[in-house]
Amino acid sequence: MSVSVLPPSSVQPPAPAPVVETRRERRRRERLEEQDSVIPAELYGLRRGTVPLLTVLAFLFAIFTLVPIAWIAINSTKTQANIFESFGFWFTGPFEFFHNFSLLFQDVDGYGTYIQWFGNTALYAVLGGFGATALSAFAGYGFARFRFRGSKLLFALAIAALLVPVTALTLPLYLTYAKAHLINSIWGMVLPSMVSPIGLYLMRVYADLSVPRELVDAARIDGAGEARIFFRIALPLMLPGVLTVLLISIVAVWNNYFLPLLIFNINTKYPLTVGLGLWSDRAVNSGDANLYPMLVIGGLVTIVPLIALFLVLQRYWRGGLLLGSIAN
Amino acid sequence: MVVPLGYAIYTSLYTTRIIGGTVFSGASNYTQTLQSSLFWSGVIRVIIFGAIQIPVMLAIAFFFACVFDLGVAKFGRTFRTIFFIPFAVPAVVGAVMWSFLLEPQFGPFVHVANALGFSGTNYFAPSLLLPSIIVIVIWEWTGYNMTILYTALKSVPRDVVEAAILDDTPLWKIILRIKLPMVRPAVVMLIFLNTIGALQLFTEPQILEYFEQGAVSVNYTPAYYMWNTAIAADETNLAAAMAVILAVIIVVISSLSLIFRRRRGELSS
Repeated sequence: MSVSVLPPSSVQPPAPAPVVETRRERRRRERLEEQDSVIPAELYGLRRGTVPLLTVLAFLFAIFTLVPIAWIAINSTKTQANIFESFGFWFTGPFEFFHNFSLLFQDVDGYGTYIQWFGNTALYAVLGGFGATALSAFAGYGFARFRFRGSKLLFALAIAALLVPVTALTLPLYLTYAKAHLINSIWGMVLPSMVSPIGLYLMRVYADLSVPRELVDAARIDGAGEARIFFRIALPLMLPGVLTVLLISIVAVWNNYFLPLLIFNINTKYPLTVGLGLWSDRAVNSGDANLYPMLVIGGLVTIVPLIALFLVLQRYWRGGLLLGSIAN
Repeated sequence: MVVPLGYAIYTSLYTTRIIGGTVFSGASNYTQTLQSSLFWSGVIRVIIFGAIQIPVMLAIAFFFACVFDLGVAKFGRTFRTIFFIPFAVPAVVGAVMWSFLLEPQFGPFVHVANALGFSGTNYFAPSLLLPSIIVIVIWEWTGYNMTILYTALKSVPRDVVEAAILDDTPLWKIILRIKLPMVRPAVVMLIFLNTIGALQLFTEPQILEYFEQGAVSVNYTPAYYMWNTAIAADETNLAAAMAVILAVIIVVISSLSLIFRRRRGELSS
């Protein structure tokens, strides 16, 4: 079962379906296909009550998953005193959500402005995420469809980079920056984020599966240049995979903490993760208790865009972020 | 496509140069780290952490992946979406939320423990700190692991399972004897990824220490010790040696697993 990798159905370009398909039609078709592929539960000869029991278990785990998120959403509406003194899982007056929210636009105690960190994070995530995806797509297609001297060795080298742990690599990176005067430079954050061995690996496998060799050869015979073949033929075929890699890359930069923690030492450059870490420290250990409500709402505003992104782009991670299929 | 490779090589050269530098200033940094009981106790702690967290999490993830794959629970699609949400939450925010929930004086979970008769529970006390971090990390990663296992289970051919049903094979046998062996590569890959993650544990203890000073020792995990050595103690050379040792430990584990998988013909590239 080594090479028999098929992309999961949810990330395959819709083959027989009508070309013009509204979102609702697509969802309906996907749901029907999913139902089709499942063996009806009655056939397993389960005892009565098994299905409700398992549903309850899943429900309990869903509660465990949602408890912190419910807590942070509820407490984003509270005053500092009420965050600690009122019951954590229900609302209490006064309703301070908009007041707390407005604090995110100010530099309250000189530790930095949330909205600026938000902008930084978005900038790092977009530059790093799109950069990583573009490089992975180019390189992945190149490795999948060209054979050149040393290509195997180069690819093996890139994959070897997968094995090097990020955390252990970050400190040497920081020491390098300190020498090269790259501390507090956004490129110090963006450039390492653009290197994604896992993205390269996924794109190569995906290009292999989705871009037929004959199609590329036919285009060459017709006189199309390599760049044209890539952009007009290969890229559209690889698009679902490209979007999945983009999703992974953006999340990786958005959530990165260790690298920016080391390489930025002025708060105007911080991403959200480092800023919120700083606020946690100052709220608890410098007695700046008015930072608590900001920490709560800041955490909420940090996670909402990503959760929204995941809900919108469901079909790109439902395929197990391509990983599940590749490991098979 | 040369850029990432070039950059990787460039970085690796610099890493070597830093090692070279430290070596010239004496290999003492390496011997100091290797003989440091503080360093090794951190290593042992993350190994204990991984030895508990990874099997528990994978068991939960595999259990639910099977349930949803078989379609033997209602609302499977909705549950899969909910379970996946923590993957979108940065570890920092996850740790901050859980710190509030577990906080010894006001945290709602302390009230829960009190109500259940465990008065005076302190989730940040030395005996409960590691279990608390395990819960946080399980919360963060179960959905992601489940999604990958679910996708892998979906690729098990339907007719194999149908044949087993016709032979009156009990369900648990279908799962453990037919499905589990077929998704073994995915399980192996997840064990490998989670092990590397466990060895690099940093964010959760670091944030928890902010919330309860003194709860997390400077050497709690190797990565945390490395950071404290570099920043708080300003001993960058020593920290660089730790980074290299940590990298070597992890690369050795990774390579072993890679060789293991390649020998079994499970890796195509």
